[in-house]
Amino acid sequence: MAQLRNVAIVGFAQLPVVARDEHRTATEMLYPAVRQALEQCGVGRDDIDYQIAGSTDYMDGRPFGFVAALESMGSWPPREDLHLEMDGIFCAYYAWLRMQAGYCDTALVVAHGKVSEGEPRRVSNLQMDPYYHAPLGIDATASSALQASMFMARTGVSDRDLARVAARNRKHGASNPDNQLRSAVSAEELQNTPFVVEPLRAGYLPPVGETATCLILAAEGKAERLCDRPVWIHGVEHRSELQTLGARDLSRSAGAKLASEKALAMAGLDRADQVDFAELAATNPAEEMVLCEALGLDPFGTRPVLNPSGGPLCADPIMSTGLIRLGEAFRQLSGRAGERAVSGAERALVHGQQGHCLQTNIVWICGTKRRWS
Amino acid sequence: MAFTAPPDDAVKYVESLVWLPYHYVAGDYRAVYLRALKDKRILGSRCDKTGKVFVPPVINSPESFAPCSEIVEVSDCGTITTFCIVNIPVIGRNLELPYVAASVVLDGADIPIFALIQECRPEEVHMGMRVEAVWKPDGERQGDHEDILHFRPTSRPRSGEWPRPL
Amino acid sequence: MRRPVAVVGVGQTHHASRRSDVSIAGLVREAVDRALLDAGLEHKDIDAVIIGKAPDMLEGVAQPEQYLVGAVGAHLKPMLRVHTAGSVGASTAITAATHVASGLYNRVLTVAFEKQSEGNTMWALSPNLPFTPPLVAGAGGYFAPYCREYIARSKAPLHIGPLTMVYARENGARNEYAHLREPVTIEQVMDTPMLWDPIRFGETCPASDGAVAMILASEELARKGPRKPAWIKAGYTFAEAMWVPNRDQVSPKAGQMCARKVYEAAGITEPWKEIDTAELYVPFSWFQAMWLENLGFCPEGEGWKAIDRGDTRFGGKLPIDPSGGVLCTNPIGASGMLRLAEAALQVMGRAGAHQVEGAKTALGHAYGGGAQYFAMWIVSSEL
Repeated sequence: MAQLRNVAIVGFAQLPVVARDEHRTATEMLYPAVRQALEQCGVGRDDIDYQIAGSTDYMDGRPFGFVAALESMGSWPPREDLHLEMDGIFCAYYAWLRMQAGYCDTALVVAHGKVSEGEPRRVSNLQMDPYYHAPLGIDATASSALQASMFMARTGVSDRDLARVAARNRKHGASNPDNQLRSAVSAEELQNTPFVVEPLRAGYLPPVGETATCLILAAEGKAERLCDRPVWIHGVEHRSELQTLGARDLSRSAGAKLASEKALAMAGLDRADQVDFAELAATNPAEEMVLCEALGLDPFGTRPVLNPSGGPLCADPIMSTGLIRLGEAFRQLSGRAGERAVSGAERALVHGQQGHCLQTNIVWICGTKRRWS
Repeated sequence: MAFTAPPDDAVKYVESLVWLPYHYVAGDYRAVYLRALKDKRILGSRCDKTGKVFVPPVINSPESFAPCSEIVEVSDCGTITTFCIVNIPVIGRNLELPYVAASVVLDGADIPIFALIQECRPEEVHMGMRVEAVWKPDGERQGDHEDILHFRPTSRPRSGEWPRPL
Repeated sequence: MRRPVAVVGVGQTHHASRRSDVSIAGLVREAVDRALLDAGLEHKDIDAVIIGKAPDMLEGVAQPEQYLVGAVGAHLKPMLRVHTAGSVGASTAITAATHVASGLYNRVLTVAFEKQSEGNTMWALSPNLPFTPPLVAGAGGYFAPYCREYIARSKAPLHIGPLTMVYARENGARNEYAHLREPVTIEQVMDTPMLWDPIRFGETCPASDGAVAMILASEELARKGPRKPAWIKAGYTFAEAMWVPNRDQVSPKAGQMCARKVYEAAGITEPWKEIDTAELYVPFSWFQAMWLENLGFCPEGEGWKAIDRGDTRFGGKLPIDPSGGVLCTNPIGASGMLRLAEAALQVMGRAGAHQVEGAKTALGHAYGGGAQYFAMWIVSSEL
């Protein structure tokens, strides 16, 4: 691996995830997040070179929904800018890549989505190919259930195992003030909740929630000035797969496996379990177990700690879910995680995704020390 | 088991009628603006840093990046900066063609609004023309954007006392 | 780490108001296959795919890139989806160029498309949102007042808009892929109905189905290719907020800044002299005169004079939109990338019947939103 530029996360802010913010539009929610992230870094808007936003028009219920984010990002004078129709974690990737190319040293990465205004399950149906899958009425919960069934059939994982994974997330999530669900619930209780789409129970699925998020990235030289404890990027890679549900083995995630192998290699690591904790953007326990298998993590192990934030089960604001994972790695590794801090944590694995059944995956490795000297 | 007959023509299209309900939040700033229309008042918000006034109110100035926390009232009378004469119908509104869509800076505001100009012939409209709001009659205003029926030419001079803090 | 990047393959579909012979995936694949064939490459040679299109509501598929992974050959590859309103095609290609410039990718496929006939464009672009009075009828209704403002400021004679369309159609007639290929006279344009005065029907772009793809490669791989590449000298994307007091929508600051940045990076000090041809994003004829000023080709108030003198005509001093441009072909999401791809074809010397003789340096440009998003690149026949 050629030597790359050391780039760090130097700031992160989010609004607490709520079912519905009655007082602000999607992009109005963004303004306080951007302000807070800049304040953390002690800089003004003009001190950031590049800006990039993640959102999707169908969640916003309007074409060009992201254009209004230019106001909340302080886009005057005009800024070097981009918008991806993707979770903010992919925007962070492109900002990182621009720094590798030497085009910028600092970047503002935001994500927004007023999920409560529309019906995310219907929108997830419209993501399917319009000829064969969408007319069947499959939404993200239904496709996840197909995946869960295949995984359980292949591995022998039981409903009880799913409940244990969900309970672990709920337990961790109880101490995260930004979560929508902030109470620990036992595996027994979760296993007694009704099926939404069998084998997925209500207790295994996140509620609809919304927020706005802002992450600041900076390259070495600038990063140290913006943050007393920058969190350095050691490796990152992403991979997409075919959408067609019948064309891939849904019980495995080849894309997550490949992305993590590449990201680990970039980070100079052999195995994912060499990190202290992992933040995984899986939205149900079966998906989390498919992901753990692909990454080589033990869903019932004690180290690496999985989802110290509580994970998406406790807060799943679409378009920000991935970026929050990266923000959580920053909070943990820079000593800002409060009572949910993972003791002695120096290295983290972060995962983001989009599409149905882990169709597109991104894996990051971050640490408290610079990767390249 | 019953089978339907195969189609006579090659299948070329899949018809999909997308039905997606949305429940949009106005946001507090837009809500206060809409409510004031009921009282024939047009509100804006003033930038904490530059003092510039945005109509309808916004939560921050994109220019200074400061909050716009003070809600102020501006005039319902303003000046046309530019316009076009529209000859095709607009979805969601039944307007007699042609009609004039203009960019109007209300007295006391620092950014323009888009406005419908009526009660004059399109060829009489010009840049710099003074116009005033024509309101729905008392008792009929609902607190929505239709409370202003349109703008029309006026001889009212530019007002010096706006914007007025609330 | 920044390193040279070249265009080594270009492919586009034939554009039409309805390409009912192909699905969305089939349309995209047509452009991708042509680009790969052009570069003498196969899918296995591609490291990543960067895809762009305008609002998803145009086709009624949410984040359709997920469904198109197979069609673009992105299975188990990195793929990003860009959306920056009308400028998206151009910003997508620039995003792809950054991938190669970073040193982390050697060959990247970039593709942009729109299949407007699949849905209802007027519906998709003018949703009846609450809290906003429905007043602006389509993009023309939004931009017409600024064309009027330009005419007032520059005192341009009123035949400039129609004349621009006449030149565009002359060019479109030479481009085998263009949607509108019949020449028109100034009288014919003048006789079309005035939609949004000062914009006539005859001065607007069509609605097209179409797609375009390019393969971008590192210097080493570009030199191994079957033919001469187009070198990307600079590419940037800028955006500005909408509600800025005194924001100038006739000559937006983001456009000026983006142009300045690409010229500086490409070592251009006098664009009129040093650039041989430009593909500008002109959806309504008056915008060509406006962009000539905004991009620094002409002093303020004099863009229309270059058109009036015939300098911008094919064979003139600075041919603009030799492909016929957006005025002849407008698959929205692909339109910006078509500008960049056509600029590349010109400096490769492969633009066929609309080749500008001896073109060595070309500008590709696109804009979007309420004249808020800008994306441009400069390509050259020499590194």
